[in-house]
Amino acid sequence: MKMKFNSSGYLVKEGLKNIWINRMMSLASIIVLVSCLIITGAAILISVNVNSLIASIGEGNQIKVFLDYELSDIDSIKLGAEIKKVENVQECRYYPKEEGIKEYKDRLGNLYESLQGEKNPLGNAYIVKLKDLSDYKDTIDQINKIKGVSSISDRGDIARTLTKLNAFVSVVGFWVVLILGVVTLFIISNSIKMTMYSRRFEISIMKSVGATNNFIRIPFIIEAMTIGLISGAIASAVLILAYNPIKNTAGQMITLISTSAIPLSAIWVNIIAGFCGAGVLIGALGGYISITKYLHKEGGDIIGW
Amino acid sequence: MIHMKNVSKVYSNGTEALKNVTLNIERGEFVFIVGSSGAGKSTFLKLLIHEETATFGKIKVNGFDLMKIKKHKVPYLRRTMGIVFQDFRLIEKMNVYDNIAFAMRAIGAPEKLVRRRVKYVIAVVGLKGKEKRRPSELSGGEQQRVSLARALVNNPEMIIADEPTGNIDPKMSFEIMQRLVDINKNGTTVIIVTHELDIVRSFGGRVIRIDGGEIVEDKIIQPSLSPDEQPTTVLPSPDDDENKKEETKE
Repeated sequence: MKMKFNSSGYLVKEGLKNIWINRMMSLASIIVLVSCLIITGAAILISVNVNSLIASIGEGNQIKVFLDYELSDIDSIKLGAEIKKVENVQECRYYPKEEGIKEYKDRLGNLYESLQGEKNPLGNAYIVKLKDLSDYKDTIDQINKIKGVSSISDRGDIARTLTKLNAFVSVVGFWVVLILGVVTLFIISNSIKMTMYSRRFEISIMKSVGATNNFIRIPFIIEAMTIGLISGAIASAVLILAYNPIKNTAGQMITLISTSAIPLSAIWVNIIAGFCGAGVLIGALGGYISITKYLHKEGGDIIGW
Repeated sequence: MIHMKNVSKVYSNGTEALKNVTLNIERGEFVFIVGSSGAGKSTFLKLLIHEETATFGKIKVNGFDLMKIKKHKVPYLRRTMGIVFQDFRLIEKMNVYDNIAFAMRAIGAPEKLVRRRVKYVIAVVGLKGKEKRRPSELSGGEQQRVSLARALVNNPEMIIADEPTGNIDPKMSFEIMQRLVDINKNGTTVIIVTHELDIVRSFGGRVIRIDGGEIVEDKIIQPSLSPDEQPTTVLPSPDDDENKKEETKE
């Protein structure tokens, strides 16, 4: 009897039904998958935020030269001209103390006022960009010698440290993602293997009545994809809920983090899409691998014949 | 229907299960395959459904050349036959209706056709009113009827019954055999593997005896049942023609 292939609804229903029938196994898979996805996601978010932190600091070749507090405006301008004369200076921009204090106020808010009152403790400054980082120390020394220079705020060291940290986080993140990806794949394919084992009798009957391998495969793949999707949704919800509290706590410890960290509003869609997409993809792949392997081996036979 | 020429099957452990078997079974025949345990009956069935491949020879089943058949074509070969197992092979978590419908759903039949066809075969095997029962709530004979209905539901050209009466009492065995005879009378080829010679003698037909992997006897015997005891045809029903027409369309 020639049958018209009109069974997508049936296959989807079977896949979803399997999740409920094997609910304990599905639940165990979801818990482990959620854990893996959260760790993976945390590694990615840390890496992204470290990158943002570095970008906020600058490229590492930028320094802030503070002038003596008492220096007049004319002397300040003269000092700027002196800085520009230093060979390794590429750019020199005046950074008045009003701008400086505004930036601090923006960052610290009420905390600043409670600590400092209305008085501005900062001096005028220049933001100086260097041409060549290899002459960094010499250039700093030369600028330090100019009369009227009070201090030099050098965030290059932090930037370089963070660049190293980011490289480390990227490498660790890559391996974490890779290893957890493989672990996740293994878990999901094992879960499907258990489901298949519990349904081997049905598979055998399906084979005996002429079901194609694809027809047998699809419900298992749908089951795996759904487990992946549910895990991705839970993991993204956990990360979204945890993101701001963690960001705020870290921001209280390191002020820079509170200003440079990527706001949740800019990434929550990416988190959901990324996690759900990754869950579905890993599910599809894990499901496909295990059912195909099974059908090529013991599942290819009609049991007991 | 089935054409075997010089077919041999040697398993990887060296067992020669079938030796140089040549036979033809034509459409509409009613055939018993008899033989003792280990005679080669199971291998014969496995070759028919392409669960195993012959080592030598030629096999053609329902138009498929089994020596050349591609793997993805095997399901389509199996759709031309219905298999009845000795141990019924029913899924306990499904009721009678779903066990039968499962065979249609597994090959992607539209639900509308499933409903119509399952209703029809349930009537054919005499299980009307028991659609909602689980296999464990049925007698052995009834379970075998469900298995028979599942084999029939895809309207196969051939029914292969492997020891269909092996797990049921004599009265029920007789009833199952009657159903198979009725199905055959409607044009479906029926191949029954059995070692119960009483059943063979009662119903008669072509009897192929296998021993030591070889066909040692191939003859037609007359039924020992009197005409009054002969089974009556139960298959035709007012819906039957309509079903067949609609299946052809689909």
